[in-house]
Parts: sequence; C-alpha cells; structure tokens
Amino acid sequence: MAREQPIELFMPPNMLKAKVGGTISGGLDTAAIARAEAAVEVLKSDFAGWVASDVDRLAAARDRFAARKDRANGDALLRASHDIKGQAATFGYPLVARVAASLCKLIEAMKMPASIPLPLVDAHVAAIRIIFREKIRDASDRMALELADELEARVTEMAFQSA
Amino acid sequence: MNGYRFDRLKLLVVDDNVHMRKLVVTILQAFGAVQVAEADSGERAWTLLREHNPDVLVLDWMMEGMSGLDLVRKIRTSDQTPNPFVPVIMLTGHTHIDHVRQARDAGVNEFLAKPVSVKAILSRLVSVIEHPRPFVRTKSYFGPCRRRRGNLEYRGPERRAAAEATALE
Repeated sequence: MAREQPIELFMPPNMLKAKVGGTISGGLDTAAIARAEAAVEVLKSDFAGWVASDVDRLAAARDRFAARKDRANGDALLRASHDIKGQAATFGYPLVARVAASLCKLIEAMKMPASIPLPLVDAHVAAIRIIFREKIRDASDRMALELADELEARVTEMAFQSA
Repeated sequence: MNGYRFDRLKLLVVDDNVHMRKLVVTILQAFGAVQVAEADSGERAWTLLREHNPDVLVLDWMMEGMSGLDLVRKIRTSDQTPNPFVPVIMLTGHTHIDHVRQARDAGVNEFLAKPVSVKAILSRLVSVIEHPRPFVRTKSYFGPCRRRRGNLEYRGPERRAAAEATALE
C-alpha cells in the first residue's frame, strides 16, 4: 500500500553544460568518436595480453576456492569471472565473455559457497582457457559455441535444482 | 555537436581492473579530457572525490571492499560528500534488469553495460551534460529522479518506498 508522503523534486544548476559549452547539432561528435576509435585501435595490440592476465587471475581464484570454499574465496572467484564477462568481449573475445557469464550465473545461483560444484567451475575455467588459447575471436565458432551451450545448460540445471 | 570542451572537465574513473581503467581513460583523453584521475577502489575514489571534487564519475560496480553501489550511496548521502549531485555513469558487466534497478535506486545517473564502446561512453557523457535529471529527496532516497522525465510538480504517493527500503538494507 503506497504511503501518502510528499517528495521533494528540484533541478540543480547544470554546471556541466556551462563548463563544456558547445551545442548538439544532429547527433554525436563524429570527430571525437573517430579520435577515440583510433586511440582504441592503438591499444588493441595489448588486448590479448590483458585477457591473458585476467584468465590467469581467474585460474588463481579457482585454486584458492578449491583449497577453501568459503565466502571470501567465492566472492573473489565471482569478481574474477565477472571481470572477464565484462571485459573479454570489449577486448575481442566474445565467447570467452559468454562462458565467463555462465560461470558468474553458476556462482550467483548457489546460496552457499560450499555448494558451488567445483567440477563445473573447472569446466568453465578450462573452456575459457581453450577458447582464449585457440584465439577464437569469432562469436559463431562452432566448437566454442557448443562448449558454451553445454556449460550454460548445465548451469541452468544446477540453478534450477538449487532454487 | 560543436566542440564540447572536455578539457574543462575533471573526470574520475574508478575500476579495480587496470586494463578497463586504461581503456576508459584512453577514450576520455581522445575526447579531449586532460584532467582524468583514476582510482582502483571505492575507498581510494572517496579520497580523490574529497580532494579533487570531479565533475563526472565513471564507476565500476563490482569491486573488492567498497563496491560501486556503496560509493554512490555514500556520495549521495554522506554529510562529508563534496558534491551530492555529481553525475555518476556506472560501467558494469551486470546486464539484468534487476541490476539496472539497483543502480538506479542507489543514485546512479547513467548505466553503461559492458562491452565498452566509444559511442556508448560518449552518449552517456552527452546525456549527463545535455539531459541532467532533476533530483529527488524522500525519506529513504536522495539522488537523480528515477523517472526518465521527471515531473517537478509531483507531490503524490511515494510509490517506490518499499523498494527503496529493500535496496538500502
């Protein structure tokens, strides 16, 4: 039941607009976009190394979690997989990101860290390693898609059982 | 668009992942920003906020210790905040609608789901510059209006009270 309670609404002064000046004339600044995309292009040679270090961090988090399935290690495993979920696609590895997303879903679905099935965690970590090692950047790669589909199905099953 | 002066803005990029930070900072600098500070944790970001009082935050959600959501709530509600109105663009791998709601209920201005693109970052910056939201103060929430088009005359029922109470727990 909604409570009748006044709320206060106000518009702070737009200091940002005053600072940056300029006007919109039909969409985004194409010159700024071109400059930024060129800058990102220069960074791209580093992307594989960045994903490699994220994958190594995930493997290390998996090892700590395997040694002790507590909340802190479960959270660290989630953060490492969440980083890859968010970043691997940006850095050109969409199916690595998809498998990491499946691992995140698995960890989040389990209420207790001890109930997170290590073999399924390991299957995800191994899949991420393989897709990255084979430099599979194509989101339609058949082998990687089959791996991702299978892992997602197993996670859906586990999540259903634990719900 | 006719020449935003991004060099006049102070920006703070908060992400515990050094690679994502580098990517975002590179993009912002290519837009023309020169005053870009970086923080690798919510705690460090809070210190920098109080020292530099940035104009815009680009903030990761999931960080060890103080999360992005914790930081936004602190910015909006702490009596030590340098600017409770500072626009926050939340950059995150979370994409579920529940996460968008949580970010909104914490006081985030714009939500930016990874993967990151140049156009998406620029569009969120343009949004906070050109279309700032009105602010709302209720018993349990202070932050940008969570309706896209806020009605400044609205004084009706506080329909989101229950959801806010849950989000703040």
